[in-house]
Amino acid sequence: MAGKAGATPTTYTPSPKTQRKKPPIFKNDDVDWVRPDGRGFHQCRPAFFRTGAVNAAAGSAYAEFGNTKVIVSVFGPRESKKAMMYSDIGRLNCNVSYTTFATPIRGQGSDNKEFSSMLHKALEGAIMLETFPKTTVDVFALVLESGGSDLPVVISCASVALADAGIMMYDLVASVSVSCLGKNIVIDPVLEEESYQDGSLMITCMPSRYEVTQLTITGEWSTPKINEGMQLCLDACSKLANIMRSCLKEAASASDE
Amino acid sequence: MVSQLQAQDGVEGIGYPNSSGDLSSEMEVDAFRRLFPLRFFERHLSESIRPDGRPLGRARDTTLALGAVASANGSALVKIGLTTMLAAIKMEVMTPLKESPDEGCIAVEFHMPPICSPLVRPGRPAEVAPVVSKQFSGMIDLKDLSLVSGKAAWMAYLDIYCLDADGSLFDAALLSAVAAFSHLQIPVVSMNDEGRVIVVSEENDGGGDAVNKEKRKLRLCRTPISLTCILHKNYILADPTAEEESIMETLVTVVLDSSDQLVSLYKPGGPALAHTSSVQDCIALTRQRVKEVQTIFDETISGMEVD
Amino acid sequence: MVGLSLGEKHFIQGGIAQDLRSDGRKRLTYRPIYVETGVIPQANGSARVRMGGTNVIATVKAELGRPSQLQPDKGKVSIHIDCSSTAEPVFEGRGHEELSTELSVSLQRSLLGGKSGSGAGIDLSSLVVVEGKICWDLYIDGLVVCSDGNLLDALGAAIKAALSNTGIPRVQVASSASGDEDQPEVDISDEEFLQFDTSGVPVIVTLTKVGKHYIADATAEEESQMSSAVSISVNRKGHICGLTKRGGAGLDPSIILDMISVAKHVSEKLMNKLDSEIAAAEASEDES
Repeated sequence: MAGKAGATPTTYTPSPKTQRKKPPIFKNDDVDWVRPDGRGFHQCRPAFFRTGAVNAAAGSAYAEFGNTKVIVSVFGPRESKKAMMYSDIGRLNCNVSYTTFATPIRGQGSDNKEFSSMLHKALEGAIMLETFPKTTVDVFALVLESGGSDLPVVISCASVALADAGIMMYDLVASVSVSCLGKNIVIDPVLEEESYQDGSLMITCMPSRYEVTQLTITGEWSTPKINEGMQLCLDACSKLANIMRSCLKEAASASDE
Repeated sequence: MVSQLQAQDGVEGIGYPNSSGDLSSEMEVDAFRRLFPLRFFERHLSESIRPDGRPLGRARDTTLALGAVASANGSALVKIGLTTMLAAIKMEVMTPLKESPDEGCIAVEFHMPPICSPLVRPGRPAEVAPVVSKQFSGMIDLKDLSLVSGKAAWMAYLDIYCLDADGSLFDAALLSAVAAFSHLQIPVVSMNDEGRVIVVSEENDGGGDAVNKEKRKLRLCRTPISLTCILHKNYILADPTAEEESIMETLVTVVLDSSDQLVSLYKPGGPALAHTSSVQDCIALTRQRVKEVQTIFDETISGMEVD
Repeated sequence: MVGLSLGEKHFIQGGIAQDLRSDGRKRLTYRPIYVETGVIPQANGSARVRMGGTNVIATVKAELGRPSQLQPDKGKVSIHIDCSSTAEPVFEGRGHEELSTELSVSLQRSLLGGKSGSGAGIDLSSLVVVEGKICWDLYIDGLVVCSDGNLLDALGAAIKAALSNTGIPRVQVASSASGDEDQPEVDISDEEFLQFDTSGVPVIVTLTKVGKHYIADATAEEESQMSSAVSISVNRKGHICGLTKRGGAGLDPSIILDMISVAKHVSEKLMNKLDSEIAAAEASEDES
């Protein structure tokens, strides 16, 4: 162990339970367990949005769902990179990164390519790209704290930030995920539930148009279960969109005064 | 022109065309500001006022919130005007270096994520980042971070994120770092049989005695507080915004500790040369600023204790 | 990128609307699939799959590693896809990176199941040699040699074929009583190989929406006309093991559910066809 001392010593986080493994939050055939934060299985965390979090950006939003905290800034429409070819329609450029203290173990995944491309796919169908030809809109997200369901929160927050920047969209994009844990489906999972999940389903949709812009499923699902999961997500999405809309309305009426 | 400028000084939120009646004159001021930024500023300076309504020597409103990040051991959110900094400290355990068995280590990183400014693009590190990172050493006695001599010591990872960049980044970063250290709560730990350090929690009877019961807080040897000033002709502007920094390029940063001793003084070139008297003026302004910040600190901490 | 004239676009769209595509197929018919196994001798398993002009190679390499602390009873599998720059002009330089990542992520989602490992096509617990100490790490690499649409289905099929072609050496654990910290010594047999169980590996069916209809196994020309595409991976039991949507346009939820049930139906035929092709390929490899 002592031999490891060098210019950059290896470090570790002291964990409270090194020997004993933490008991799982539920047993395999158990149907009646309690979620770590005491919510009902089909109950979302309280959602909070605020626009104008970053003044330097054209539009921005801060979202907080329980312990999941993200900031999204939107820049542009501004000149595309020189190397880009001419384009009739606007470009969307997305980037999602994590702070080093976002995750329980320090410095995991500061730049998340997978989430960046997922964010891009979730938003591109909702933005009227033809309204800003030849230019680029940059959507940058920073996850300040990761508390589970990070990507759905980033997507919802990004759509509020786009609206704040005045980028034309067909509808707000709301996103919700569910986790499959044993026999139960739980909505808006926290980090601990996600680490035990057997499968997950994430929907991003435009609730007023009743259109799904992005859907991903992992794990093994039977058709009735997919139906149930999708319905749960869609209902939650339309409720979430109402919260997002009222946040935007509040901000708009505040700036009118 | 003067009347237009004065009209603007009174009105906040100038960007909204419908917020006040006379649209045409507002547009003119805005155009003037964009086309001739230097003249626009000099016009203000000759009246001893700045476009945001501040006198030359005054810093912007400063707020401080401790414990903003639940997943860190210590954290603080600082706002100076619109400039926002989030600092968080995570404590990890390391084996101390052979040369210094009783010392821990502090690793400081300053990040400019792309969200904070239109000038930062993902993948490209910001220019100011390395300059800021260097300034925090010597603030803490590294011996305080030792746990078991030669076996285990704390490595404090301090990460500062700029969430909104509107000038005077160094001042905000330093303030957030100091605040995060003052908020830091070191977990009580013990060493188990395998030589690994584990956290002692209340329900856990633990594999040994706590090694750091008394050392839950870090003592700051000094609290450095800084103020950045712009030198332009014979004017000195304290706590500049991003716009001011982009127009008038000569910056002087003075760092003083709580007993008004000079920690560092930093003038990275620039077109304006500083007379001894103007450097002394900068130091005087910083001295004033230190008192201000001290009150803000005291208020925040006493506010925390009430809660 | 496919450059199509207005007339060609109309021809493709009209054909799809009338259930007679430009190459004579119906909407849900696949192109003929050709499977060749054991194409890369130095890999533990490999296969080449051709579907029309689409040509992909998948290889499986097995190495001994250490299981992660979080899941001591499971092996590790990584999937990485590369696109040859000869496959399409735009793949040159860094042009393929985005597509490569997208394909890798979709395949991981389809084959590796949820975080707890349930629903995974590849049974990770079968890869463990000594719990918490030694396991097999599978490195699955895919290479797109030539691209004419429907890469994901072809890669999925190639990985399935490569996995059934994979032999993992039998490992003897030398009983060593020396301390818990040390890695136990192992003896890797170079004669005895264990066949990998691929019955649970799903197939991937991509349904591409062109106009009002959706088609299976789209060619590159047809893909250029798509509004969105849904890739669904289905296993033997008819359960969905992963789903990825591509393309920006929104879809009505009911259409997605409809697509899922169609995909299940199509997957049965595809799975049977693929299994018989794999068996035939293995047989011809044994002969030669």
